[in-house]
Amino acid sequence: MRRCRPLLGTFVEIAAQARDEAKLVRGIEAAFDAVGQVHRLMSFHDPESDVSRMNRDAFPRGITVHPWTWQVMNAAKNFARESDGAFDLAVAPQLVAWNYLPRRGYGFNSAASWRDIFLRKNCEVFFCRPVIVDLGGIAKGFAVDRAIEALKDNGVVRGIVNAGGDLRTFGPASQLIHVRHPTKPTRVAGVVRLRERAMATSGIYFERRKHHGQYVSPLLDGRTGQSVRRLISVSVAAAECMAADALTKIVFALREEAAGLLAQYRADALLLERDGAPSWTFHSSCDTRDQSRFD
Amino acid sequence: MKTEFAFVALPISALIAPSAFAVQYLTVDQAQRSIYPGKSFTAASVKLTSVQRKAIQQASGVRVLRDDQQVWRVSGGGWFIVDEVVGKHEFITYAVGLNADGSVRQIEIMDYRETYGGQIRDQKWRAQFVGKNSRSTLKLDSDIKNISGATLSCRHITDGVKRLLAFYEIALKH
Repeated sequence: MRRCRPLLGTFVEIAAQARDEAKLVRGIEAAFDAVGQVHRLMSFHDPESDVSRMNRDAFPRGITVHPWTWQVMNAAKNFARESDGAFDLAVAPQLVAWNYLPRRGYGFNSAASWRDIFLRKNCEVFFCRPVIVDLGGIAKGFAVDRAIEALKDNGVVRGIVNAGGDLRTFGPASQLIHVRHPTKPTRVAGVVRLRERAMATSGIYFERRKHHGQYVSPLLDGRTGQSVRRLISVSVAAAECMAADALTKIVFALREEAAGLLAQYRADALLLERDGAPSWTFHSSCDTRDQSRFD
Repeated sequence: MKTEFAFVALPISALIAPSAFAVQYLTVDQAQRSIYPGKSFTAASVKLTSVQRKAIQQASGVRVLRDDQQVWRVSGGGWFIVDEVVGKHEFITYAVGLNADGSVRQIEIMDYRETYGGQIRDQKWRAQFVGKNSRSTLKLDSDIKNISGATLSCRHITDGVKRLLAFYEIALKH
């Protein structure tokens, strides 16, 4: 069974198999519900979301958020720390300036960064300087992980969840994943075989636009505030889709320097140049079963 | 953790390079059962007057390209609507279930077609898929099931639903 719904600002597709159809329908419904829940909690656009509430009120008092939001904030902060700010959940002011995100009139301090975000026990989030957070670089991956969990909890035996290119597979069989061409995005430039694994791809082909005569994209290097303009594509495979999602942004900014972090997450990376040819590939060597293989 | 990861580095000339990526998810019948299980449906075709078209455009801020809309009345209350949207790279047929009070119950993508290079804007190219939903087994590039790549936005669907909600208020509600 294969279903697709518009969620998280993109198309979320769930394909799954189970022994009986009632189980399958229930599982897919629960998986879409989980994605819908992440959408409601972490949307920048929805004024009622946890993200909007944080941006309004987490400075100076701090607010309580849903455990899922806290979990994603915590992961995002870790990725920011580990990448020395290349991944930054506080780059929203720049994205607002370039019209990738709506103007909401939040106050912010232009010197503030992810370092001003503090997470306390009991799901409390507190900003010690006003920052604007956007979880767009990581929430989709988290949603995919929650959807996979919902499928498994409902007795689904194999499946794949694909949220606009961020995907994860489970079940005994491996699945073929086609990677978009970096400059001709409806063409395929690579084929990856995945089993029990997630993969995310970042490219700027659909999103690049001109701002004051300069090309910009929503992919930012948090260290410099500069947007990525290279017409390449970065794919990262990891056990969890949230990690894969965040790591693509880090590899975009750091390229080969991201190798240590990739190894830490037992992740693999594939970088395609504008002609579609791979210019850098990285395989984490864990145990032999995990070892990746190039043909 | 069992993982198998392999990148197949093919020479560029040997790459599978489809000009269009397409999936059919649901027929009209299947979409109806998915959104309103166990209900019966009565088809009705609504033809908009130019005044209604303008009113929908004004209320939703979205252009109304057609004056006919395929709708079904659901037994026990509610509506089922099939609609199409055209983006720069995508042509999508989708179904919306409305509750009896006009709120959105569920949205299902029925047909998704993606291409690059102007085909989407070509009426003739699109015409070959229109009305094919009910019993069609049309499937292109069925060997390409999973694509990883940057996100294609669903903004056109969001706009389409906005337009349908205005359509409900102006042409269906009474």
